[in-house]
Amino acid sequence: MAKTKELNVIICGVGGQGVVLMSELLGNAAVRDDIEVKGSEVLGMAQRGGSVFSNIRLGSGVYAPLTPEGKCDVLVAVEPSEALRNVHFLAKSSLVVLNSRDVKPFTVFLGKSGYPSLEEILDKLHRVTDRVITLDATQLAQEAGSVQSANVVMLGTLYGTGLMPITVETAKAVLQGRFKGKVGEINIRAFDLGYEEVQKALKGAPVK
Amino acid sequence: MKELAELTITSDAPGAKLFMLGNEAIARGAIEAGVQVVAAYPGTPSSEITNTLVSVAKETGMYAEWSVNEKVAMEVAMAASVSGLRAMAAMKHVGVNVAHDPLTTAGYMGARGGLVLVSADDPGQWSSQNEQDNRYIARQCYIPVLEPSSVQEAKDMLVDAFRLSEEFKHIFMLRSVTRLSHARSDVVLGAINKEKREGEFVKDLHSLVCLPAYSRGSRRRMIERFAKIKGAVNDLPYNQLKLNKGAKLGIIACGISYGYTLEAIRYMGLEDKVSLLKIGTPYPLPEEMVRQLLSSVSEVLVVEELEPFVEDQVKIVAEDAGIIIKIHGKDVIPIAGELSTRPVAEAISGLTGAQPPVNFAELDRIREETEPLLPFRPPTLCAGCPHRASLHAINVACRRWKREYGTECVLVSDIGCYALGVFEPLNADDIAVCMGGGFGIATGLAQVIKAPVVGHLGDSTFFHSGIPPMINAVFHQANVTLVILDNSTTGMTGFQPHPGAPAGDEPKIMPEDVARACGVKFVEVVDPFDLTKTVDALERAIRYKGPAVVITRRMCSILEQREKRRQGVAIVPYHVDPEKCDGCGVCINLLGCPAIIKDDDRVTIDSSQCPGCGLCAQVCPHKAIISGVKDGKD
Ligand SMILES: Cc1ncc(C[n+]2csc(CCOP(=O)(O)OP(=O)(O)O)c2C)c(N)n1
Repeated sequence: MAKTKELNVIICGVGGQGVVLMSELLGNAAVRDDIEVKGSEVLGMAQRGGSVFSNIRLGSGVYAPLTPEGKCDVLVAVEPSEALRNVHFLAKSSLVVLNSRDVKPFTVFLGKSGYPSLEEILDKLHRVTDRVITLDATQLAQEAGSVQSANVVMLGTLYGTGLMPITVETAKAVLQGRFKGKVGEINIRAFDLGYEEVQKALKGAPVK
Repeated sequence: MKELAELTITSDAPGAKLFMLGNEAIARGAIEAGVQVVAAYPGTPSSEITNTLVSVAKETGMYAEWSVNEKVAMEVAMAASVSGLRAMAAMKHVGVNVAHDPLTTAGYMGARGGLVLVSADDPGQWSSQNEQDNRYIARQCYIPVLEPSSVQEAKDMLVDAFRLSEEFKHIFMLRSVTRLSHARSDVVLGAINKEKREGEFVKDLHSLVCLPAYSRGSRRRMIERFAKIKGAVNDLPYNQLKLNKGAKLGIIACGISYGYTLEAIRYMGLEDKVSLLKIGTPYPLPEEMVRQLLSSVSEVLVVEELEPFVEDQVKIVAEDAGIIIKIHGKDVIPIAGELSTRPVAEAISGLTGAQPPVNFAELDRIREETEPLLPFRPPTLCAGCPHRASLHAINVACRRWKREYGTECVLVSDIGCYALGVFEPLNADDIAVCMGGGFGIATGLAQVIKAPVVGHLGDSTFFHSGIPPMINAVFHQANVTLVILDNSTTGMTGFQPHPGAPAGDEPKIMPEDVARACGVKFVEVVDPFDLTKTVDALERAIRYKGPAVVITRRMCSILEQREKRRQGVAIVPYHVDPEKCDGCGVCINLLGCPAIIKDDDRVTIDSSQCPGCGLCAQVCPHKAIISGVKDGKD
């Protein structure tokens, strides 16, 4: 097995956004490419519209299933305010990819909770790292053919960062293994749109 | 990229790698070990073990059942072991409380076929009412505990647990935790034991009949068996001692904490400066290794989640060996909640003076600044959940009682999806303790307070532990209203079948038949989405003198939508007529349905979320909520 550098990826969002599926696709791709992979998520009560957190740790020497605070390399937020909930995992060198489309909890409509503006969210994230990429993944998913594929758009963004030790071909092969036919095509389009969007943001250069 | 043949959890492909959930790895371990009988009751974080095994039972020739509760699951597994088959019971930590009675005597009986209990504890209380540490239960019952530090080890240990159980003829426990059961990892598969034994009952009064005359002897034999196991654990590969010459600090790390400890040491560059003892068997402890470590360092840190279970034993070993050094544990490692690399790094930093890998104070500052911005996002009942209707109906009936008689009803809830009704705006939960408590506590309250008491629990919970308190209410004629929220499944834990909603064509047991047979005179079954009838039944039940049972029956909305899709039946959402809606927000303030959205003063329904239950239409004072997708007006 090839030795690879530690890379800690955190994916966050809300119940129903397909965060757990993203980590399954990631992990399966890692195994195919013979890269060691560990991770964990919070299931149970956190489903049903609550916050969802999943982390995938790639590379040799990783043992624990939980990324240490301050050691996240890439944070993928499928919902913008959820990025803030995980701010303590970030470091100066972290890269954040943020879907700007919010999902307000019902407590906001009840008047029992506030909801931060995108500016407030970005402002706080920028206190830790200035490497934040924002995109409308939900819009791109629609372009791909289904709003349901916003999570796969975000998966594409992760590969678009150029930081992944897993090849894009493997990522897509795993995606195609999971989704057949028309849904498979939509998801490949969604993946590509996310990938390109981040490449554009990085002007084609992988982040160091 | 390697071209891999499609591997599944049942593939007999030793050496191949599969990406698995911790619980799937445990299930795989059972398959590799040739387990023939699995019995379980669902509960987070244990459920995926048996979900997996039930789904491959036919293929593997295994008998896997969702039992009615954990006590029965334990007994089913014990019976199989007695008959010479390898058997496993799996449950969450509080489930072991329910199984505690047979479990305490299981050690007396010994094991013929390998017998393993998987206890999935929940440090951090991600989805449980408490944070109990089941290693203590094991200790009380003379049950050796294997505690994995990784997903791979969880599988390997489980396979080995069956070997050990048969070697020593004794029950073993595999203790998992949420962060392991719900971890994911690459796992190297082992060979599958395909041996199929024929169950055979061999009479053996001395071991199998636990009456005092026999069981005094059984206890002595159990203690002897346990002493042998104690001697053997020092040689198990899960306990590993790495001594570093000149190390002042020795660290003992148990189970999942081992990974956090390894990483803290690595991040701080202390690999060659501390000695490390990895514990895979917290009970019985590998005492020889502990003594070796204790006598080679000047200070020890015990790292473990929850209680000082290993720490206390290490202190006894030190005392017995006359080794006087400082042994740290819960003085520097948190006792409540999950551990992670951070608290371990901080503790090591405090003891060694080494710099922690990250400026945690800075992280805390940013987190503190961020906290006020975070939206409050509690888990909530799904859009279209029938429990929302039932709980709203209970609220309406209680409000009417209060208007008439001035007293506030007390609402007793239970553990299930409906427990989410505790939050705004339903607020339908004044007290909730444990499964079955929804009826048990209600029945007790009814004997001592004047206010009406309404208890509720789900159908799976009813069969699990709701029937005895209902009988108790009849026995003692408690003046109580008992509501069964019957959604035809075990919803909270992922739709497992139960006696009222079997997976196949087994006979259905109806809660109303059980209630009537138990002597309840007031029994009514209603559809909670018929709000008027449901409130009426509840009002009459509350007024009724003596125990009254109301069953609100409507299939779980997730299952109903699945069923509709399967049958090609259209799901018709509701919409808000903007001409009639004045934005009063009554629907939101009464129901808190996640499909109802309010922007400024405009209320709309998210048609992608709304499965069309129509509850909001029934509470709207302006009749502004209408079935069907909006006709392009919006
Ligand atoms: C002793 C025990 N076993 C298992 C659990 C896990 N658990 C919580 S709620 C629940 C059952 C819920 O089913 P039901 O009562 O039908 O309600 P639903 O979630 O379907 O609304 C289970 C198994 C527990 N908390 N305690």
